[in-house]
Amino acid sequence: MWDDYLFPQSIEEALDMLEARGGDARIIAGGTDLALQCQRGRNPATVVVDITRIPGLDQIEERDGYIHVGARVTHAQVAASPLIRSRAAVLAEACGSVGGPQIRNVGTLVGNVVNALPAADGAIGLTALDAQAEVVERTGQRWTPISDLYAGVGRCTVDSCQAMITQLRFKALGDGDGGAFERLAKRKALILPILNAAVVVGVEGGTVQRARVAIGPVATKPFVATNAAEWLVGQAPDAAAAANAAKLAAQAAEPRYSLLRGSAEYRKSMVEVLVRRALTRALALASGEEGGHADS
Amino acid sequence: MPTLEMILNGKEVSAEVEPGDLLAHVLRDKLGLIGTKISCGEGECGSCTVLVDGLTVTSCIYPAMKAQGREVTTIEGLATGGRLHSIQQAFVDVTAPQCGYCIPGMIISAKALLDENPHPTRQEIRTGISGNICRCTGYYQIVEAIELAAQRMAEEGGAP
Amino acid sequence: MSTRVLGQSLPKKDAATKVRGSRRFPQDFNMEGQLHAKAVWSEHPHARVVKIDTSGAEALPGVVKVITAEDVPVNEYGIIVQDQPVLAGEGDKVRWVGDRIAIVVAESEKVAREARRLVEVEYDPLPVVSDPREAMKPEAPLVHEERGDSNVFRHIKIRKGDWEKGFAEADVVVESYYVTPYVEHVYMQPDAGIGYLDDEGRVTVISSAQWPDHDLRQIAPMLDLPKDQTREIVPAVGGAFGGREDMHIQHLLALCAYCVRRPVKMVFDRNEVMIRTGKRHPWYVKYRTGARKDGTLTAVEIEIISDSGAYASTTVPVLEAGTSFAAGPYVVPNAKVDSYAVYTNNAVTMAMRGFGTTQSAFIYEMQMSKLAEALGMDAVELRMKNLLEDGSIGLTGHKMPQGVGIRETLKQVALAAGWKEEQGRWSKPDLGAASGPHKRRGMAVACGLKNVGYSFGSDDKATVGVQLALDESGRIARVTVLSGACDVGMGAQTFLAQMAAEALGVDYDQVRVAMVDTTKVPDSGSCSASRLVWISGNALVRACQAALEKRDQILMAETGETFVEAEFQFRGLSVIDTRPYDPETGMTDPHFAYGYAAQVALVEVDTETGETEILKFWAAQDAGKAVNPAMVKGQAAGGVHMGVGYALTEEYIQQEGVPKTRHLADYYVPTVMDMPHEFTSITVEVPDPTGPYGAKGVGEMTTLPTAPAILSAIHDAVGVWIDEFPATAERVWRAMQTKK
Repeated sequence: MWDDYLFPQSIEEALDMLEARGGDARIIAGGTDLALQCQRGRNPATVVVDITRIPGLDQIEERDGYIHVGARVTHAQVAASPLIRSRAAVLAEACGSVGGPQIRNVGTLVGNVVNALPAADGAIGLTALDAQAEVVERTGQRWTPISDLYAGVGRCTVDSCQAMITQLRFKALGDGDGGAFERLAKRKALILPILNAAVVVGVEGGTVQRARVAIGPVATKPFVATNAAEWLVGQAPDAAAAANAAKLAAQAAEPRYSLLRGSAEYRKSMVEVLVRRALTRALALASGEEGGHADS
Repeated sequence: MPTLEMILNGKEVSAEVEPGDLLAHVLRDKLGLIGTKISCGEGECGSCTVLVDGLTVTSCIYPAMKAQGREVTTIEGLATGGRLHSIQQAFVDVTAPQCGYCIPGMIISAKALLDENPHPTRQEIRTGISGNICRCTGYYQIVEAIELAAQRMAEEGGAP
Repeated sequence: MSTRVLGQSLPKKDAATKVRGSRRFPQDFNMEGQLHAKAVWSEHPHARVVKIDTSGAEALPGVVKVITAEDVPVNEYGIIVQDQPVLAGEGDKVRWVGDRIAIVVAESEKVAREARRLVEVEYDPLPVVSDPREAMKPEAPLVHEERGDSNVFRHIKIRKGDWEKGFAEADVVVESYYVTPYVEHVYMQPDAGIGYLDDEGRVTVISSAQWPDHDLRQIAPMLDLPKDQTREIVPAVGGAFGGREDMHIQHLLALCAYCVRRPVKMVFDRNEVMIRTGKRHPWYVKYRTGARKDGTLTAVEIEIISDSGAYASTTVPVLEAGTSFAAGPYVVPNAKVDSYAVYTNNAVTMAMRGFGTTQSAFIYEMQMSKLAEALGMDAVELRMKNLLEDGSIGLTGHKMPQGVGIRETLKQVALAAGWKEEQGRWSKPDLGAASGPHKRRGMAVACGLKNVGYSFGSDDKATVGVQLALDESGRIARVTVLSGACDVGMGAQTFLAQMAAEALGVDYDQVRVAMVDTTKVPDSGSCSASRLVWISGNALVRACQAALEKRDQILMAETGETFVEAEFQFRGLSVIDTRPYDPETGMTDPHFAYGYAAQVALVEVDTETGETEILKFWAAQDAGKAVNPAMVKGQAAGGVHMGVGYALTEEYIQQEGVPKTRHLADYYVPTVMDMPHEFTSITVEVPDPTGPYGAKGVGEMTTLPTAPAILSAIHDAVGVWIDEFPATAERVWRAMQTKK
């Protein structure tokens, strides 16, 4: 399958290795998607550059008002992290629903983004958090919003043969903030979702100040229901607001028929249900209400 | 061919591997450890579960080279000589295995669970094996076995 | 009957090696100098093979041989009818994507995989027929034009009593159209094995299987060899569920060994098992049931169309069995049933746990649930009113034998689930408050029955041998049971050992069961039809008796011999003469033994999403005599697991004969999280006087009531009937939308 398996000890070295093979080498993190893809002839590579031993890429920490998650961090680590559970629980919920325990132990959150599937739970959580990714390549490094990373289904704008994402960052949720994640799937584990939704809201002085609603897979990339979010701002954080925002989100989302996931009609209807449920929980959390806490 | 060096079931082991080899194949075909079973080859069923540094991984999609320098535990590493590990014994005692093909992966997942959480609730046990598919048992006797193992291991003072 | 060793949940004979991982399944074997093989599969569901070019594959370094149709001495096989080519050659047809073109044999699996991609095949695609209802029409393309001018190859008729009068007398008539899905066995151990020539030059196969002797009866003619020049060894089987009844790999391994005269190993990928091996038959059913307002059934009129896929396999016996139980465990005086077996270019359909009676249980129990609603009658009470008993006349006009345990089984499960009974009146318990504003609870019961062993005149038999090693005083020191019964996980080795210990008066630990090797153990028939406990058990008990008699003779004669051997062949027909269906009336004595089950599901349906969660589940099964209670419980749980999948999550999807669910990731077997939160197993023991120690088969019975119990509970919760399943969230949601 591969001619060489390399362990760079620094980001610099990783980029050198990519460059030296001129497009034949590819970054691998956990490999839970990539190994199968290579076996099936997709995303081929002759050499893989395994970044999971690079020091400094395993952090989950808060600095400068952002939570930073390194490229080596697995779904399991995100789901278990006390920092994330207390300051960005929506992401812990999302990552905790990926696959099964074995996949979560190996698959990385950054890998979830790079794999660029619109259903990816971790990426949906990150989208709701308006996360950014640090893209590092020969020419330099830059922070990019997650939503700019999607070139199409399964295609990331970051070419893993030339560049790598080294970390993610997003603003931690504080007092007055709330987030929630909902998922609909054909069985309760080891499965991609029919639909998932992650929302983040901020409430102050009894009104919604900010909101972000991310839904997948209803488009070729994680879908942000800006209409719903914009409408929510200024509303009272109550059930009626959640319901109406959810209706708006469902109006905007255009899922297509999927043989395995279901009809467009059903999935569109479920957008309303999931977004309403997520918003109801998030608004309650943001308002500091009892019973608003999700079980992580 | 690169050399893979790992601490396998407590012993230093090295094997010549192809860079693209997956851990399950290296264990089974190069190291003769056929206790790790391949059922789906897609990481979708957990039959191939082994521990790498104490964490469960689906070895059928886990590149062997990732285990470089790591501690790997397979089902063969649980029994000590003639004596079954408490988890294995519990599976026997509650008649959990039927065809047996999913069982090594189940037991390894159970070990990881109990190593981290010696007193799991039933729901935590279910979550712990939620990445392991069984087609014979309906899971109930497997969950029972893990509960029994947890109880016995606690009584034995945490010893396997 | 009180027993010493039976009735104990003793540790299984193979449990220790299975928890160690040391038990070798066929893929765990390796032989010195072995080669590796991979099959080249048809790319079309229906086509003529125009040209096969193997030169590219042959030229690849490491390829030893590319086997094609010309290399097969007799290129046909099949479990009943030899209608399948081993390999399709130039000029032959492929009739589904599971037909094979060639087998590549190479020095390594890697080379074999690469080489098979280099085999170039030119096809002339033919029109595909993928709906059996369309396939029945006179203008439909023929799948087997060499077998006749219709895709319909079996029509079973039952004409009992006067059904028109029966419907006229009915106060209520329920009419439905059901479609049951394709499901896949998903045994965890992919088909695999090694073919080689043994020390005596026999073509030998190490493989998983359900009936090794029957495999050889197909392999030997294929290779034009006498059967005793062939051999099959079954070291362990990682699940079967009927899915290994037809050979998937054994004949390919034999062919490889025959052609290259070296050991050849072959292991199917999960994707190959998924799309190139057989499935459970989908049925398209019209069902009319009439009943009086007191609940007495008066008539049924049923039409069943069974999709056989590309080859006959066991479609006819499956349809025959299913048809014989199409009205369920109930007294139905008047019946008109027409069942059709139809070829299509879909996946070959074959045995799968229940063998037709699973589909039957779905249709008759959904009808009963609908009837209960139409009559305003309690679901248990309606069933109790109509149940078969000892001596009742069944659908095919036969008398039910002694040991009809369905009433007791239904009673126990209903009581366990909280039903109350007062002088024949049954009332459902309170279901408790739903867990949320969008949830509704529902509870329902279903029952099921099927035959144990083969039917309709089939000379089902099992030969079992037993060897006793005696000590100097003539006491039995060690026992070896010799049986071709394959332990596919249900515990055949264990229950045979327990029965032998019981029959011989020794300890369980003194008994071992020999590995299945056709040169060393007798033919005990198939591991199927829930028959092994009953038929091999009967043979074993008699073999033990014969061995004890021989031992006694040795002692009396004081010969000092320390080894005794005895064998017994037990025939099902010795119990009762079963016969084929009467071609016009369908009246017959179909089966020699029966097993029963009844289950209750408590569900909660999310009225917004249509998702169903199973909160509690009770499974009662009549084992006659539970040899190993923990093993029976395991069968209950496993049967329910498959039933949950059948009801809610599993669907094998094809479009125009092309599989769309190709990987395990696409096919949703229930995980532990999808199972009922609480599960209670109740083993009932209504002895079967013809069974060894009163034992009955249970392995399949436990999956029959599950889907109708769950779907009836969904109706109880949200008022919708799901007649085409699985009852996925979307299907339930749609039904609720339509209802609004």
